[in-house]
Amino acid sequence: MSNATILSGTDLSKSYGDLEVVKNVSLSIGAGEFVCLVGKSGCGKTTLLSLLSGLEKPTSGKVMLDGKEITDASEDELALFRRENVGFIFQSFNLIPTLSAWENVALPLFPIKMAGEERQRRAMELLDKMELGHRTEHLPSALSGGEKQRVAIARALINKPKVLFADEPTGNLDSSTGDAIMEILNRLHADEGVAILMVTHEVELAKTAERLVRMHDGEVIS
Amino acid sequence: MNWHYLVNELYYQRRRTVASIIGLSIGIALLIILNSLSLAYRQAAHAPLREIGADVTVQRSGDVPENLAGVVFPCSAVTIRDEEVKKIESYPGVRGTGKALLLWVFDPNRAWIVLGIEEKNSIGPAVLRSSVTEGRFLEDGKTEALVEAAYARQFNIKTGDSISLANRQFPVVGLIDASRAAKIAIANVYVPLAVAQDLAASSSQVQSVSPFARQDVNLLFIKADQERITEMASSIKTLMGKGAAVATPDSFLKLLGSLFALSDKFTFAASLVAIIVAVLIAFKTMAGNIAERAREIGVLKAVGWTNRNVVMQLLAESVIQCFIAGIVGLVIAIIASYGLSFMKVSIPIPWEMSPTPHFLPGGGDQIFKILRLPVYVPWKLALFGIALSIIIGGMTGALLGRHVSHIKPSEVLRHE
Repeated sequence: MSNATILSGTDLSKSYGDLEVVKNVSLSIGAGEFVCLVGKSGCGKTTLLSLLSGLEKPTSGKVMLDGKEITDASEDELALFRRENVGFIFQSFNLIPTLSAWENVALPLFPIKMAGEERQRRAMELLDKMELGHRTEHLPSALSGGEKQRVAIARALINKPKVLFADEPTGNLDSSTGDAIMEILNRLHADEGVAILMVTHEVELAKTAERLVRMHDGEVIS
Repeated sequence: MNWHYLVNELYYQRRRTVASIIGLSIGIALLIILNSLSLAYRQAAHAPLREIGADVTVQRSGDVPENLAGVVFPCSAVTIRDEEVKKIESYPGVRGTGKALLLWVFDPNRAWIVLGIEEKNSIGPAVLRSSVTEGRFLEDGKTEALVEAAYARQFNIKTGDSISLANRQFPVVGLIDASRAAKIAIANVYVPLAVAQDLAASSSQVQSVSPFARQDVNLLFIKADQERITEMASSIKTLMGKGAAVATPDSFLKLLGSLFALSDKFTFAASLVAIIVAVLIAFKTMAGNIAERAREIGVLKAVGWTNRNVVMQLLAESVIQCFIAGIVGLVIAIIASYGLSFMKVSIPIPWEMSPTPHFLPGGGDQIFKILRLPVYVPWKLALFGIALSIIIGGMTGALLGRHVSHIKPSEVLRHE
């Protein structure tokens, strides 16, 4: 399923003071590829994901996404870049508690000049796909863990991203709900060809991915 | 900036919103109330002079006559020469003057306080025209008198009677209830100014204490530009020298004795404290808000909001919250002002301004002008309060916007 490289990190290192968290890592992801980053807690998986997604700047090395180098971009340029190219799914959902489900989905569109009806239509459409058409007006506090994560996935998809970054997306869910979320991710990958980079420490979950990348102590070991 | 997000944030975070609005609105309300009170005392201080159509009164104190007989000047009101009046009339800020002549007339069987007044003027005791309760007001060139109503009742004087003052006969053409109007320059009998000047000029008692020509007076009332009153009062004192007594709204303000009345500096300092408290409350709330919402801000940035997008959203929240606080503060201030407007103040009128011989009944009694404190919120002050609250909101939002740029989404979203 792997095509041309959509995302690549070359010789990426990240240090916090004297602590080197990511050590000279190079990693590429093809368009539509589903890659899983596994490793023990604290091995640098999330930091590598942050570097590749433009959430954080590397101490050295470079990141290219869809042919554009993002390493030297300003913070605001990175924000625009994220808005247009990537989607995020977090372990603890990170929904805005004061916004309804559809508003949370539409959150990335708020800064864009767009008719409110269009924004809502797109959000509703995605919620329908996530089988949450009946929960669109509910606040996150009224949703179950699985529903929250499905809202978060819909939010990640609203801008039609080239790459989806998922950081322990099932970490806060029971196993059956976690399986359901994985099924959605697999479907997105298979049906819509979205490249996915998922961080997890559960090897069983990682087996569903096309490629497994193992990390240990800040380095890619296989 | 997204309105829906803003409204939801303020609505669903009610406790935070209400706490912030209450804190700031109290600051704004305090600011408005303090300034309204200060303004009310200032306006109250204008009342004794305003009711006689003037902003300033001028007198000159002198010696007590050796013998209290016939026509004399009270020691608090001796001659103001005509050339002095003309000089004062030429001072910048003087919009008009009114003249009067206050005399004590000691006849063998009665003492009179007589005020010579102009027949036509909107400044000075001529405004008593509206206080005539019976008969008519004085007419040009006629030798006639008006008698104060209470005095007339006491001595059974009626319109149409004739009274004798310093051996001259005066037909009583009307009664006047001066107590309803002025507390300054009140008298028992009112006669035309020219007649009073004639009485004074021909009195040896007057001339022995304070030489007096027929055009001179001993009370001068000035209508003036408010902003030039202080400068004018100082010039008049310099012109008239020792003994000059110039009453202004400021001198009545001092007699009121309130902190608000005594000092602009107090009002300014208290207002400043109220503003600082309001700013600190807004700042603390907003800082707490940002700290509390660091994760949310991290999410916004992660999904593609720029720093500017986030700052504008928080700035709008802050401005709207402070604007609401401003409105609430204004409403509190208006209600409080309404309550305070029932408060009464007693403005003491110095004896010198309405001198009555001490040996006459009530002669030494302190006279007060009692009025309800005119507390209200002027629209300019209301607008200032609202504008200030918006500025505080904008300032706070903008200042704290810097902190937003320091929030790294990777850091706040890292630990689950």
